[in-house]
Amino acid sequence: MTNAVSDPSLDVAVTLSLGALALRAELCTRRRAVAIVGPSGAGKSTLLRILAGVERRAIGRVKMGGRVWLDSARGFFLEPWERRVGWVPQDDLLFPHLTVRQNLAFAGANTDDVEETAEMISVQSLLERRPRNLSGGERQRVALGRALLARPELLLLDEPFSALDRPLRLDLVRRGQTLTERAGIVLVLVSHDEGDAAALAEERWLLVDGQLTRL
Amino acid sequence: MLAAASLTDVLTTVARLWEEEGGNPVRFSFAATSRLAPLALQGNADLLISADEEWMDWVVERGGARADGVVALLGNALVIVVPVGTTTPPRALADLDVVPRLALAGETAPAGRYARTALENAGIWDELADRVVRGESVRSALEWVARGEAAAGIVYQTDVRVHAGVELAFPVPSAVSPVVVYPGAVLTGAPRPAAAVRFLSFLGSEPARGVFTAAGFELLAAAPTAQAYAPPPVSPIADPASAIMLSLLVALAATLLGLVPSLFLGRLLAHRQFPGKTLVTTLILMPLVLPPVVTGFLLLTLFGTKGVFGPTLAAVGVSVPFTLIAPVVAALVVGLPLYVLSARGAFEAVDGRLEEVSWTLGVRPRSTFFRIVLPLAAPGIAAGAVLAFARALGEFGATVVLAGNVEGRTRTIPLAVYSLLESPGGSRAAWLLVGASVLLSFLALAGFEILSRRQRKRLEEWSGR
Repeated sequence: MTNAVSDPSLDVAVTLSLGALALRAELCTRRRAVAIVGPSGAGKSTLLRILAGVERRAIGRVKMGGRVWLDSARGFFLEPWERRVGWVPQDDLLFPHLTVRQNLAFAGANTDDVEETAEMISVQSLLERRPRNLSGGERQRVALGRALLARPELLLLDEPFSALDRPLRLDLVRRGQTLTERAGIVLVLVSHDEGDAAALAEERWLLVDGQLTRL
Repeated sequence: MLAAASLTDVLTTVARLWEEEGGNPVRFSFAATSRLAPLALQGNADLLISADEEWMDWVVERGGARADGVVALLGNALVIVVPVGTTTPPRALADLDVVPRLALAGETAPAGRYARTALENAGIWDELADRVVRGESVRSALEWVARGEAAAGIVYQTDVRVHAGVELAFPVPSAVSPVVVYPGAVLTGAPRPAAAVRFLSFLGSEPARGVFTAAGFELLAAAPTAQAYAPPPVSPIADPASAIMLSLLVALAATLLGLVPSLFLGRLLAHRQFPGKTLVTTLILMPLVLPPVVTGFLLLTLFGTKGVFGPTLAAVGVSVPFTLIAPVVAALVVGLPLYVLSARGAFEAVDGRLEEVSWTLGVRPRSTFFRIVLPLAAPGIAAGAVLAFARALGEFGATVVLAGNVEGRTRTIPLAVYSLLESPGGSRAAWLLVGASVLLSFLALAGFEILSRRQRKRLEEWSGR
């Protein structure tokens, strides 16, 4: 499972006004792992939604690995299904009517890849279960595996593994990180916990009241 | 006061004269005599004017009026009418075999029976029976002709003058026509018998006679001896098995045809914002609260032979009124609001973020709809389908207006029950259909309840962490 990004640069300059939130984010990095920290309600999840392409109202530019994803000045918007992006939202949002195996294979991965990934995220014994029969931590792992199996260039983790306590959480994110590094995926991770961010990311950014600054 | 439908205009005028001369206000119920006769036995009415002697005898036999109190008031005659502007109208009974549809009053209504007797006497009933469509009263038969749904109709000569949409083709020859007599009687249970007797005698007064003559009625000095004519059919006039099969077929067709529009509209209303959304929603829901008869009338205006789409449909060989299409269209339109509401609710209950996740996994919206949204909403949509099916089974008002009441073609369970209730000897068949109706409705609603519960349970299980 390799889909190395030859050019791991992420270049973001977007603004978005949504009710009380006025988001203004300029982020330019060539690192493989970036953390965005800040209090809840600061707009972290919204920024990830903009990058994933499911929040369409943002104005500005997003460029990933040399490819333009958003350029509102030219009226260009790359649809989420055209972006090579993996999005693991805070609520894992597994498809409730599908088994773990079907969730993992949703993007079209073959059986071998599904089983390999299931092993890496330690859910190989749960493949035939449905999401409602999983624990919170198991569900979040499946959500990560599902995103990875779509072979993204950019992986977005929103408060990853918040259902677990810190040691387990860090262990899992590190395993995920190893994977992303090996596959050459750029990782953007959002957390309200600075400790997590410091332990995991090469570069940290702070988002407060919609304003993004480099730490 | 209960009076035959064909007297609507004259009696309203006469009652105004009566009130001007100081008489008590008169309230009328005009309908086919066959519908009025059972009411005459209930004891709430003062006076009955029937359009034939048979039904009056029926009332007298059951003690509703005294035999010596029956007065023959008026005479009438049958005529053939055609829509205004018909280029080559029939000129004799023998010409009727070129008419595709012939409108008569209901099987048990006097005008319907008189007409049948006349055609039987002329020896052409068997030939024409297939083309006969029946309105409930003579007035509905008149309306079918005026709208061009039937190319000809048999009505009373007095009806020609009251409807601008029809014109006289020729009178039914007296050789075959039964004598049409309107007897009147004060009812035994009358709450105001004295006033009723006064009104009855006023009907024979000079001013009233002037109104009747002007309208084309014959005045009867003494009771003529009515020529015998066909008594009401004793065998059930509607076949319960055919009605049940037809109802199931119609409900099933309406449910299947409604699926795709309901999915589309339910999805549109659940997840899209667009200008005029409130208006669209309101229009879709209208048939839920509109009187079904009004819905039927509007549908007839759209799909009738002379309706907005009538000519276009006719050009491709489709005719809606009186055909199997009509009850299906009526059931579809009346059931659609329930269907769409259920689908909308089911779609709204699906977390929109699941779709977003699916998109980021490279799955396009259309495919996402079939893989995520539809399976999750399926039980709720199925519940809506069952509800629409149940509503289709019960549809009456819109159907009777758009589809007529044609045995074997548009006579569904509710229409058959309605016809059987006014036909002597029809009550056993009616009970059979009532039982079938209750059973089918019960099963459909139980199915709805089970499916809704399944949807609720599924959503609870899925959302419960």
